Amino acid sequence: MIALILRRGALSLVTLFLLASFIFFATEVLPGDALDVSLSADEIANMPAEVMARRKAELGLDRPILERYWGFLGGLLRFDLGRTIITRAPVGEIIAMPLRNSVALAGVTLLLALPVALAIAMAAAQAKGRAVDNAVSGAAIIGYSIPEFVTGLLLIAVFAVWWPLFPATITASTNDPLGVLLAAAPLAIATTIIGSVAYLGRILRVGLIEVMAADFVERLHLSGIPRWRIIWLHALPAAMIPGLSAAALYAASLVSGVVVVEMVFAYPGIGAELVRAVTRREVHVVQAIALAAAICVVLFNLLADLGIAALDPRTRR
Amino acid sequence: MHWGWMRRGVAVAEPVLQVRALCIEWRGADGRTNRVVDGVSFDLAPGATLGIAGESGSGKSTLARALLGHCRPGSAITSGSIRLDGENLASLSEPELARRRGRVMAMVPQNPLASLTFHMPVGRQLEEVLRLRAGLSAKAAGLRALELFGQMGLPEPERLVRRYPHQLSGGQRQRVVLACAIACDPALLVLDEPTTALDKTTEAQVLDLIRRLRMARQGAMVIVTHDLNVVADICDQVLVMQHGRIIEQGAVGTVFSAPREAYTRGLLGAALRVEEASRATHAAPGPTLLEVKGLSFRYARPSLLRRNPLGPPILDGVGLSLARGEVLGVIGESGSGKTTLGGIIAGLLGGEATAVRFDGRPLPGLAAQRTREQRRRIQMVFQDPLSSLNPRRRVGDAVMRPLQLFRGLERREAARCAASLFEELGLEAALLSRFPRQLSGGQQQRVAIARAFAAEPDLLICDEITSALDASVQAQLLDHLAMMQRRQGTAMLLITHDLAVVWRMAPRVLVMQGGRILEAGATEAIFRNPQNPYTAALLGAASRAARAGQGVLAGTGDKKPL
Amino acid sequence: MRAALRRPAALLGGLLVVVHLVVAIAAPWIAPFAPTSLLDAPLEPPGATYWLGTDDLGRDAFSRLLWGGRVAMLVAFAAGAVAVLGGALLGLAAAYRRGGFDDVVMRLVEMKLAVPTILFVAIFVTGFGQSVPVLIVAVGIIQMMGVVRTSRAAGIVLMEQGYVRAAQLNGESGLIIILRELLPNVADLLAVEFALRASSALLLVSALSFLGLGISPPTPDWGLMVEDGMALLESEPALVLAPALCISTLVLGMNLAAEGLADALGLDAARGGGG
Repeated sequence: MIALILRRGALSLVTLFLLASFIFFATEVLPGDALDVSLSADEIANMPAEVMARRKAELGLDRPILERYWGFLGGLLRFDLGRTIITRAPVGEIIAMPLRNSVALAGVTLLLALPVALAIAMAAAQAKGRAVDNAVSGAAIIGYSIPEFVTGLLLIAVFAVWWPLFPATITASTNDPLGVLLAAAPLAIATTIIGSVAYLGRILRVGLIEVMAADFVERLHLSGIPRWRIIWLHALPAAMIPGLSAAALYAASLVSGVVVVEMVFAYPGIGAELVRAVTRREVHVVQAIALAAAICVVLFNLLADLGIAALDPRTRR
Repeated sequence: MHWGWMRRGVAVAEPVLQVRALCIEWRGADGRTNRVVDGVSFDLAPGATLGIAGESGSGKSTLARALLGHCRPGSAITSGSIRLDGENLASLSEPELARRRGRVMAMVPQNPLASLTFHMPVGRQLEEVLRLRAGLSAKAAGLRALELFGQMGLPEPERLVRRYPHQLSGGQRQRVVLACAIACDPALLVLDEPTTALDKTTEAQVLDLIRRLRMARQGAMVIVTHDLNVVADICDQVLVMQHGRIIEQGAVGTVFSAPREAYTRGLLGAALRVEEASRATHAAPGPTLLEVKGLSFRYARPSLLRRNPLGPPILDGVGLSLARGEVLGVIGESGSGKTTLGGIIAGLLGGEATAVRFDGRPLPGLAAQRTREQRRRIQMVFQDPLSSLNPRRRVGDAVMRPLQLFRGLERREAARCAASLFEELGLEAALLSRFPRQLSGGQQQRVAIARAFAAEPDLLICDEITSALDASVQAQLLDHLAMMQRRQGTAMLLITHDLAVVWRMAPRVLVMQGGRILEAGATEAIFRNPQNPYTAALLGAASRAARAGQGVLAGTGDKKPL
Repeated sequence: MRAALRRPAALLGGLLVVVHLVVAIAAPWIAPFAPTSLLDAPLEPPGATYWLGTDDLGRDAFSRLLWGGRVAMLVAFAAGAVAVLGGALLGLAAAYRRGGFDDVVMRLVEMKLAVPTILFVAIFVTGFGQSVPVLIVAVGIIQMMGVVRTSRAAGIVLMEQGYVRAAQLNGESGLIIILRELLPNVADLLAVEFALRASSALLLVSALSFLGLGISPPTPDWGLMVEDGMALLESEPALVLAPALCISTLVLGMNLAAEGLADALGLDAARGGGG
């Protein structure tokens, strides 16, 4: 078990290292350096050469690429994410609170969505091929096809405009305690949950149907073991394994969804920071947000892998 | 409504199981129905053991499940009755059936690994049955589980109960599912292919256990198998099924000594009869074509750090030599390394370059490193005929490709050549433009043989080429293969677990186990008088059905065939 | 294909896609107004002239709706094609070569799985600017990694087949084996993958446009229209709900078609897709 954790952890670190390299090269090398990227074509054309050179020197961009790359990686190890190009504010401070808020939104979503998806999937798998199952499958594919921002808008239209139960957008601010923030965001949470339940429910249903057709379920059935026992003690833990793999794969999509939903509801998370950073072409902020999100996803994947190892003795070697 | 049948089924003891005109149908997604069990009737007395034999798809497993009142989703009993202790299982409700399952009738499923819950220790799985079905307390169930494991011949029950299914050996898993099935001492015990997944040594031990259980128990037993040797070993009655119907039934000795149906004869024919002379002919010894000396092989284990630590040895110091035009049989069970040996010589796996010499010169390990001429001269036919042909290409393409590649034939000429190869193998030239799925298994395998011979090889490696085919088709295929081999003077390495194939085709044989060669020599000498106990076990397992047919009852201690 | 069309859900899906495609292609001829022309009548309510009213700049919402799927669909289908072609070749090559090459490819796939798609595009857009070709490449690469995963898995199974081994033993080159023996046997899988990837790309592109990171104004686009109209949800709901409905029905149609196709071909869409 410990060997497994170490092995998975090492692989995650390799992935993160590759990712950091990819981010650096895709934003600071291939298209030009950070300053080129942050300026528009007009600005570059109009800027006198010596001003340009001075600014590059200020930002350390006159050093060779490899040196900058090592500097970038070294900075990451010291949790120094650099400063913004325009205001020279430390990036870490800019994204810390929004990141906290986004992680909270994603966490609440997963905590609520997994059991709901599981319950729905069980109901559908039990009634495979019958009306309940068809309705669930149909609802899942619809839920999965509607973009988060549309779901969010529909919720606003129904529950904030026509039937004003909740506020349309969130009034809480970035530094409010999490409880206040989440309490102010019921529609946002509902939106991310709907998408997650549709995705996870679909995959859990397939997993459950597969397990219910497994040989060991048939053997138990032919031994006269009661059905509820077969489902809860034998089939469900087995079906949770593909469910956890799916949840791990879904983690990245969830972050994307969270970014969009935050914009719909003006939730103070990394979504707004990201959009602001991309439109202002603040390279270092985009880098930091991408890395932070990737670390969250990798950590979640690690957790899911450990969950799978706990459920499936065959993976523990 | 079945009382008329009852009167006809007269038996000495009151039968415990009476099946009458049973029909089971599958309904496909397209609404078409397929009758997989068709009008089956038989009786079974308490303490008797019935073997249900047939090839896959004969409906025997569906019938076995029906004996517990169970049909898989999509199938249903459409008519007939199954009376167990006088109650018709076909008319009982699901809760009523559930109350009887495990207690009155129990099943030992086909695949023990998949049939045990993989995330639960085996001891808990047996205790579950004991607590819920035999009504024992948790403590009593724990003790009884240890006792049952002991009775099943499982070593160190105290430690074994905490193991997970994947940590047990195949034989141990089979014993665990057996223990679960007999936990409540059912009146009817159904065993579905109880030895299929096991090697010969373990098979003998498990059969021994089943025989002892049979003696110790009052209940009746039904054994479903494709292996007539198993039937000969432990059953007193046999029932042969084909396409869902019973085509022959009766006492084992009677049916096996005088099979009325060609199908049964075919099944029996697959069993080895060493009393008849081998048909394999010795070719005049030519110059040595292939020489293998001290060949060892291990798979590199994938690892994070990519230092490639080696796995356990698959081949360990194997040596053999093969003359031009000679046929050499290689026998052994799965895991003996015989397929690996073939793969290395063929150039699939890349073994040590120095260990194999072909036509006097060292043979590089991988096909890609060999010369085009070496690749042409060594060809291979694979086990699964369907997967050996590209499903998206016409079978003609498969045969024409080597003709174009090695002999540089034009497309039209290659097509003509392919057609004549097809003709030699008894295939119509019209089949050239078909896709593999449109051909039968036997035809597919003949196409694969045509593809191999298209290169005019000097050495042909045949890896279990008959094991996916029906018994009747096997003989025909082997005849064609022998004819092509003689005509082209090709040397052949015939890898198989089927001793009858070697008996028929190969004058010389190697016996492999655990990556080593145990015994080598003339087939007739080794089969009639094996020197190695493992070889004797292999031979004993293969010839029991034939002996039962001669009226020699199973288990009467005659160790050597003939 | 015919088997897929016999399923009502798949038929509905195909129909939705075809209708959207036809409208998108025919938009220049059937739209009553040019999508970008300012008609001097901002925020007109829906009526006989302006079927869905006009937006805050006075452009005809109905015309913009007809035009609004064109660029998004172009990006989605182009990205889907990039993903399937590149992904199949990369995945099959990884399955064929294994070893170090396979390791590198799998690390790339894992890397993509770790970066949320929107952030992935954001990185590209930050670096290379916001344009349709950049979008196609970025979205295509994202979707490609999923195709690599599925076609590699299928390729590994195929590599064990007798016909591939026979070809290897005859010394056929890697390219011939990939193109002749492997590729035709993953064609079914790739058809389903294309439908799934294109629908997923469309979702992504409209989300990006909604965020202001995708298709840039004044190009008429559903995602942009939703974003523009958000503030007017109360007074002019049609401005938001109409494009929202269009995106949803198109993606739904593509997913239904993909599922029907997968079902007819005996593949598992729920496992292959997503991510």
